Amino acid sequence: MRAPLAPLLLGLALSVASHPAVAGRLAGGAGSRPLPLDRLAELAANHLALAGLGFLIVAGLGLALGIVATRPGFATLRGGIDALAAFAQSLPPVVVVALALPVLGFGGPPTLLALLAYGLMPTLRGTVGALDSVSPEARAAAEAIGLTRRQILTGVELPLAAPGLIETLRTALILSISVAAVGALAGASTLGTPIVAGLQNQNFAGLLQGTAATAALAFLGDAVLLAVGGFWRRD
Amino acid sequence: MTAAVSGARGALLPLAAALALPLVLVSLPLLHLAPNRLVTGAPIAAATVLGFRLWPLLALAAIGPALVVSGRGRAGTWLGLFACTGGLALLLTGLGAGAAEHLAGQPPAARARLAAGAWLAGLGLCAGILWGMRASRLPAAGWLSALAILALIAGLGAAGALDALSFTVEFRARRDGLARAVLEHLALSGGALVLAGLVTAALGTWRRGRGAVDLLVGGVQVVPAVALLGGLVAAASAGLALVPSLRAYGISALGAGPALVGIAGYLLLPLWRGLQGALRAPDPAALDAARALGLTPRQILTTLRLPLGAGLLIGGLRVAAVQALGLATLAPLVGAGGLGRLVFDGMAQFAPDLILLGALPVIALSLAAESALGTVEAAARRRWPS
Repeated sequence: MRAPLAPLLLGLALSVASHPAVAGRLAGGAGSRPLPLDRLAELAANHLALAGLGFLIVAGLGLALGIVATRPGFATLRGGIDALAAFAQSLPPVVVVALALPVLGFGGPPTLLALLAYGLMPTLRGTVGALDSVSPEARAAAEAIGLTRRQILTGVELPLAAPGLIETLRTALILSISVAAVGALAGASTLGTPIVAGLQNQNFAGLLQGTAATAALAFLGDAVLLAVGGFWRRD
Repeated sequence: MTAAVSGARGALLPLAAALALPLVLVSLPLLHLAPNRLVTGAPIAAATVLGFRLWPLLALAAIGPALVVSGRGRAGTWLGLFACTGGLALLLTGLGAGAAEHLAGQPPAARARLAAGAWLAGLGLCAGILWGMRASRLPAAGWLSALAILALIAGLGAAGALDALSFTVEFRARRDGLARAVLEHLALSGGALVLAGLVTAALGTWRRGRGAVDLLVGGVQVVPAVALLGGLVAAASAGLALVPSLRAYGISALGAGPALVGIAGYLLLPLWRGLQGALRAPDPAALDAARALGLTPRQILTTLRLPLGAGLLIGGLRVAAVQALGLATLAPLVGAGGLGRLVFDGMAQFAPDLILLGALPVIALSLAAESALGTVEAAARRRWPS
């Protein structure tokens, strides 16, 4: 697993680049109209709230279903999970956002649905893969010393699968931040909004701010999860 | 598992399959009648839409799926397959006729749009056809059922049976644009795939930089797609502002260029992983043996590494192709074309049929690419088992 330093520094550099003064200078020119700082902060807070909610839903459901699918007695579900995952990956988030738009209206709900459709199956499959990587000997030893099923799960399987689970959560977080940006197309007020607006009215300073801030969020979130993973592994 | 449980479960699945579609048909609306193409309109139930066709359709929608999933021999499966196909044909003609009946006397802007019940029942019958083809062990069941369903819809459409449905109206109005959009979409995703393949192959020859490339292709994945496309446009416009003479060479900040580069950036990771996996596929002993025999590195690459790693390489290509087709939907954001243009126009106009007209081909193309390359991957793994 990588050290969190590189994404942290990259994220900080990108947040600096999204500051109105810096972005205005970088994307100079007559048409450059950088967003004021408070507007940018408001969009970032919205983006974080939407992506955070989506991440909680996707990670919670994915982990829970992944744990259920790896219990003995549910082995027949595996083939179905793989087929469903392949199908879900064929549905691009923008298509789900667009299809949900007439039904769910503008803003957050279609974005969350797109995130659920696109992010759940990779998270579920990653959880199953991580739990499968726990050696059968470790499980057998835990059974032999008389641990209950719940104790085996929380005391043996989850800690041993931790690196794979952190990788899965990283993917889920990055997908959440990415899909929240796509949600701007459905009218959700996120950091994708200045990107879409900037492309439409050629405001490259605002475009750069949205781009840098979205990427900064993704890299900073990645750094946090990498740090959590490192911390967990050291224990 | 005891025989009793197995027997109960054996009866439960056909029973559920027999009840599901009839329940959907009687409980959900089949059509929405709207005064124009931009509003949802009033729901109309199955009995009003289908008329005398309702009862035969209910029977077929109960018998077909039940026979198909119960797996009672060859004859039963075929009968179920025919019932599902007949049910789909009856549903489609009924929807077309019902829509025409309800639109008669309405102003020309009025639209009859398919509602939740029609979609669910149609999808359920299609799933029944797929399941039936699989159960009767026909070769390439997925492709065969897709072909049969498309042929049925195309045949009914050509005969004019579906003319009154709003989706057909939208399709007729956009037919030329749709064909062009599909070609543009394929060109964009194919071009990005070729570009990413060339870059991956070039990076693969750079032995020393493997760690750096790992970091780079992983880092690109972290950047959200909307942000990467926006960033490329911002960078290109900054470059053009610095060196305006570049415009003379046809380079512009918006258009297919940034879309191709942006899409290709995301394809590097699956292709790179496939390539690295393929190069590492032969075990060290086999490589040593090949070297001892006096094979040159090029011969080792073509006779040992590539055949043994073919499955992994094609697996990477499959993931990359599906991603390319999906990401190309975002291309209109930076002024390039493709099926995303229809989706974006539909979102801007809030016109559900137009969104569907763009979205359905994207989904179909992705599934076709996934299925075709998955077949090739499986064949490669069988041909060169590692």
